[in-house]
Amino acid sequence: MSQNRNWLLPLSAGALALLIVASLWVGDLPLSPTRVWAGLWHHDELAATVLWQIRLPRLIVAVLIGAALSSSGLVMQAYFRNSLASPGLLGVSSGGAAGAVIAIASGWSAVSLFILPAASIVGALVATSAVLILARRGASTERLLLAGIALNALLGAITSYVLTGYTLTYERNAQILFWLMGGLEDRTWEHVWVVLPVVVVAALLWPLGRSMDLVSLGSEEAQSLGVDVRHLHRKMLVLATVLTALATAVAGAVGFVGLIVPHSFRLLSGPEHRRLVPVTLIGGAGFVLACDLVARTVGHLRLGIVTALIGGPFFLWLLRRER
Amino acid sequence: MNALEINHAQVPARLDNVSVTLGVGRVVGLIGPNGSGKSTLLQVAAGLLPEGKADVLWHGRKLEEIPVIERARQLAWVPQEARFEFGFTVRAVVAQGRFAHGDDERGVDDALQRLDLWSLRDRPVNRLSGGERHRVLLARALATDAKLHLWDEPLAQLDPRHGLNVLALARELARAGRTVWFSLHDLRLAHRLDELVLLQRGQLRAAGAPSTVLTEEALADVFGIRLRPAEGFDLEIY
Repeated sequence: MSQNRNWLLPLSAGALALLIVASLWVGDLPLSPTRVWAGLWHHDELAATVLWQIRLPRLIVAVLIGAALSSSGLVMQAYFRNSLASPGLLGVSSGGAAGAVIAIASGWSAVSLFILPAASIVGALVATSAVLILARRGASTERLLLAGIALNALLGAITSYVLTGYTLTYERNAQILFWLMGGLEDRTWEHVWVVLPVVVVAALLWPLGRSMDLVSLGSEEAQSLGVDVRHLHRKMLVLATVLTALATAVAGAVGFVGLIVPHSFRLLSGPEHRRLVPVTLIGGAGFVLACDLVARTVGHLRLGIVTALIGGPFFLWLLRRER
Repeated sequence: MNALEINHAQVPARLDNVSVTLGVGRVVGLIGPNGSGKSTLLQVAAGLLPEGKADVLWHGRKLEEIPVIERARQLAWVPQEARFEFGFTVRAVVAQGRFAHGDDERGVDDALQRLDLWSLRDRPVNRLSGGERHRVLLARALATDAKLHLWDEPLAQLDPRHGLNVLALARELARAGRTVWFSLHDLRLAHRLDELVLLQRGQLRAAGAPSTVLTEEALADVFGIRLRPAEGFDLEIY
């Protein structure tokens, strides 16, 4: 049955390509395909400014955070052996956002471009460790989700508190909303550089696919079948956390992507990770791009609002299905 | 040479200085009341309990000296609980037994057939019944082609026919020079095995031929039961 699912990868790649074209084209200033082409080569100055200063960086950030969050969720689900685990629900995104906000408010992030993602990684690692302490592998869904609720509330409060002291009154709420809900407004090339390492980290996931299959069914069994589980587990946790942290450092805590995308693709393509890793990366990029497209066209919604509007009901449906 | 040697297994609050030796080509039962340490001992023997202390030798080789991937080719361990979160097909799970052999798929179909899973091979494992899931784990163990098999209560959830089939499988493996050690609660079945290891509250109570292990005294003292003189009720596959 699952042998005949090879169409999924080309299909998602095709969809992603279409979405990329559409993203360059649609916006406050609609650009015809010919103007997009002229703009990309700087033959049309207005189009060039819109594309190179606004749409391209935003597009690339959207693609990379989509790939990062989805693959991060995929790895977490395999690690916790629970298809409801995801960076948003477990509080890892909130940890990353808290770290990023502290770096910005303290002024450290102005020192070097690396400080912001580094702080976000530290925050996300703290959250991951807390989840590990509160809910061990193979823990019940309830325990995982409860740990996530507590962490999300705590880390969200820290983020809001830091922003309250740092920002001016009139932009305070916008800033808090940005980091807690996530968004892609005003993303520049600087943000692209911050999130670009996602490509490298995602590439490191590639060779782990087969062993992730085995640990997703049980760590002792995997060990007895020849997987070096301790080593693999450490790798999985670090990669998943870093992926989420990088995404969060540039776009805030965008919710539900890491839950919906891997879960949907598992339903479509079966649970084998060698197949899931590439389709999740591409599908995640496409999903976030599509959500952002909706957000931009339907009157400047925040990306996180769109993903939550889709993800919330999806999550409830999953919970119901879980009996 | 012995197939398996465990010297002074020590696991805090669970095992106290247990030493066991299994000969090659034997079908050995591991018995004892709930909580007597059977699963723990099997895990120690399989090298899956990092917190446990023991000198374990597989076919004369020290366990610490055998790399993880090599271990998977020598010993197959079947856990007591068969929980699957994700819907891999039965065949895919059984094929995981070949992971340490470069996923060459050798013997996978035979293992499926031997455990009567051929007709279920394309079904997702998370939709199977408990007994069927256990048979999947046994088929995966069989597919590893290991010389040493440690099974944790493989019969507990199986229907009578599949239970006897697993027993027959253990005998077949032993005839082919492999060694099978499994835990069980059915003492009438245990009585028919080559050898028994009896645990009581984390300690080794007795080991050897069934008739020397399952004495009236041991039955009374360890299990709190006694033999009832009655006509036999032996079952077999026809």
